[in-house]
Order: sequence, then structure tokens, then C-alpha cells
Amino acid sequence: MSDEPRPPPGESGAPRSRRLLSRARFLGLLAGGAALGALSTRVFGLVDGWRENTVEDGRPVFDRATYRLTVDGLVARPLSLDYDSLRSLPAVRQVSDFHCVEGWRVPNVRWDGVRFQSLAELVGPLPDARYVTFHSLGGVYRDSLSLTQARLPGVLIAYDLDGAPLSRVRGAPARLVMPRMFGYKGPKWLTRVEFRDRQDLGYWEQRGWRVDAWIRSSG
Amino acid sequence: MPEFLDRFAPSTRVLHWLVAIPVLILMLTGLTNFWPEAKTLHLGGARIFAWLHVLLGLGFAVALLPSLLAIFSRRAARRDARELLLVRLDDYLWLQHRALRAAGLRSIAPRVGKFNAGQKVNAALATTAIIVLIGTGVVLGVNFWNKNVFDVDLVAAVFRWHTVLSLLLLPLIVGHLYMAALNPETRESLRGMTSGRVRRAWAERHHDAWAERAREASRRGAGPDRR
Repeated sequence: MSDEPRPPPGESGAPRSRRLLSRARFLGLLAGGAALGALSTRVFGLVDGWRENTVEDGRPVFDRATYRLTVDGLVARPLSLDYDSLRSLPAVRQVSDFHCVEGWRVPNVRWDGVRFQSLAELVGPLPDARYVTFHSLGGVYRDSLSLTQARLPGVLIAYDLDGAPLSRVRGAPARLVMPRMFGYKGPKWLTRVEFRDRQDLGYWEQRGWRVDAWIRSSG
Repeated sequence: MPEFLDRFAPSTRVLHWLVAIPVLILMLTGLTNFWPEAKTLHLGGARIFAWLHVLLGLGFAVALLPSLLAIFSRRAARRDARELLLVRLDDYLWLQHRALRAAGLRSIAPRVGKFNAGQKVNAALATTAIIVLIGTGVVLGVNFWNKNVFDVDLVAAVFRWHTVLSLLLLPLIVGHLYMAALNPETRESLRGMTSGRVRRAWAERHHDAWAERAREASRRGAGPDRR
């Protein structure tokens, strides 16, 4: 960094042009400050907000007209729900922290949705049903829980996040929420809930990740 | 008059690149956190960029202290580090000079030593950021292998600070790269960090007080280690 070359004598004695320059720079500084302010909200979003993980080929697109949530497998009364029927089931609102296995957390996430337990009562699991697999719309990602784990009170099929319908990035139209395990246990873009007698390993568990991804917390 | 002046001894250059190369790779692999298509690329469940980041980060953290001890046994590196972190009245005057000039006012430049105040501020901020990033990174690296060591809320807080500091460091690195490699006025300085020498004319423009000392030293035939 250095001095700019000294201006020739004629220019250096021209206060009007210097004032003009300084006003332009002042406006420039203002614009820069505004840009910085806008940027900082983006940066805070990066620090505290959601991050995205997906292995689907692009984010699956949810079509309200054709979407079905299928609940089948070892059940007495299999179900196929369209989006409105899913939303008309008895709903709960739940506030829970979301923990990703990567280490980040979104505190106090407000979910609206249907308890897994309510859904299980509707379809009536057969005695052999001991595990549940949750399938994504894209056909690549799935994960599973034992029926006992899935029946824990915090486990939801959620369709609203913080009061608004799930966005495509966050897993529209529905995702599994299992607040006591890391986020990879909760598939986004949920389209099928399958009751099984044996545990079907999820996408990451087939690749060596932990099946029971309990969160260790003193809180 | 020599065309070139000795600027950085080998020990200082080794120190610079020993930090710069890992930090640059760590920044790039870390930034994949904001790139969903890249961050889940994996080989048999091992996510490529996450593994690279954690392995390189832990290796860097372990290797850094003995490397620093070895490098700072050299006088030139100690001297450069001291110059870089020492704040003088001239540094304050230099910042004021730049501010007045930026506002379109007249100001006379103070003399500049081996590093100007901008370089010193950048160095202090970057060093602080890197130290905190190493500390938080070690916790996250351990947690990457074993989720039962630390409480999940502690990990989340540490993760957050790791992100904050990396986002502070990013513009410092970008600015540093711009000044060193692109900006025509300043990019001569890169030569000092590669070959160890810089053009005398550039040094006299940008670091006049230092250039005078270096010229004197080269007249006496002293290398950078003995200045």
C-alpha cells in the first residue's frame, strides 16, 4: 500500500472537485454499509440456521395432486393418504431441538404434524411388525426405527416447520421427526411408512453409520 | 543500488506456507458445508470433504506446535513475527492517513516499516481466528470419530463458533490473496514470500523505512537473518 502519486499542482488546488469526490465516496461508504448489513443477516443465517444434506438426485418435487403417503407392510388396515387427508388427521404441535450428526443444532424448532403413534393406531400393526422403514419420494433415501423407538412421544410425521408448510429444501410435504436421534434418522420428502418384521438398514447405515443414533445430552 | 532487496528469510517463508497451505485447504473443504451436492459425496459412507477436513485439521493441529518451536528457533522468523505484531504510533498514523485519503482529504503518509498497519491488523485478526479455529476444530474432530465424548449441546456451541470464526477468516484470506496475487500495486509482495526478495523500487514505495534499513544491510553484505 502506498501513496497515490501526488496530484499535479493545478488539480490539488481544486477544492470543488475534491468535495465532489468525497461526496461520491461518502455515498459509496453508505451503500457498502447497507450491503454489509444485508450480508450479515445472510451470514447469521449461515451460522444459526438449517444446513442441507441430501443424497437424492436433486430435491424431490412434491406434486399435491398425485402425492400419497402410503402406510403399509405388516398392518391390519393399510392406508394411502393424500396431502389433505394427512393434514386432517389429529395433529400435534411440538417444539424440539434438531441435532445433525455433523454437530450443528437448530434449537426450538416448531413442528406441526401427526404423531407416529396415532398413525400406528389407525393402521393396526400386526404382531410380527417390529420395525418401521421410512421412504423418501426420490427413491434413494430411507431410514428405519424399531417400532418401540417410533412409538416414543416425540416422533412425528411433520408437515409444518415453524408455522409454515415444509419447503422443498426442508423436505416437502412431510418428514419424519425423531428428536432423540440425529437428523439422518428422519427422512425428508416422506412418501411411505412400511411396517416390517426385520430392520431394513437405512441409506447411511448400509454404509457403516450407527443404526441407533441416540443423542447423548445432559440437558 | 541493488535492484532487489532481501525481504523474507527461509524460516519466515516456511512458517508462512506451513500455515497458509493447510488453512487454505481447510477453508475450501470446510466451505463445502454450504454446498449440499458436494458435502454428501462419499466413498462407502465416508464423506470425502468431511474426512479430508477432519484429517488435515487434526494433523495440522498436532504438527503445528513442534513446527512453530523449530521455526522460531530461527532469529529471522522471531524478528518478523515481532515486527508483524508490534504496534507503534506510526501504525495508528498510517491508518488515519488511509482513512483521510479515503475521505478525499489531504494527508501526508507516515513512514512504513517492514509491515504496514493494515498488514498488522490482518495478521492479528487472522492469527486470533486461526487459534480459535484450531481449538474448536479439535473438539469437533474428536466428536467426528466419537459422539460420546462431548455433550451434544457443547458440540453445537463449539460448531457455531467454528463457523463464526471461519466466516470472519474468509474475507481476510480473500483480501490477502487479492493483495498478494492480483492487485497490481501490491502483488510484488508475493515475490518476497516465494523467492525471498522484492524489487527495491516497490519496497521504497510501500515500505520506505524498511527499504532504507534493507538497503543499508545489503550494502554491508548482511543476509535477511542478520538484519
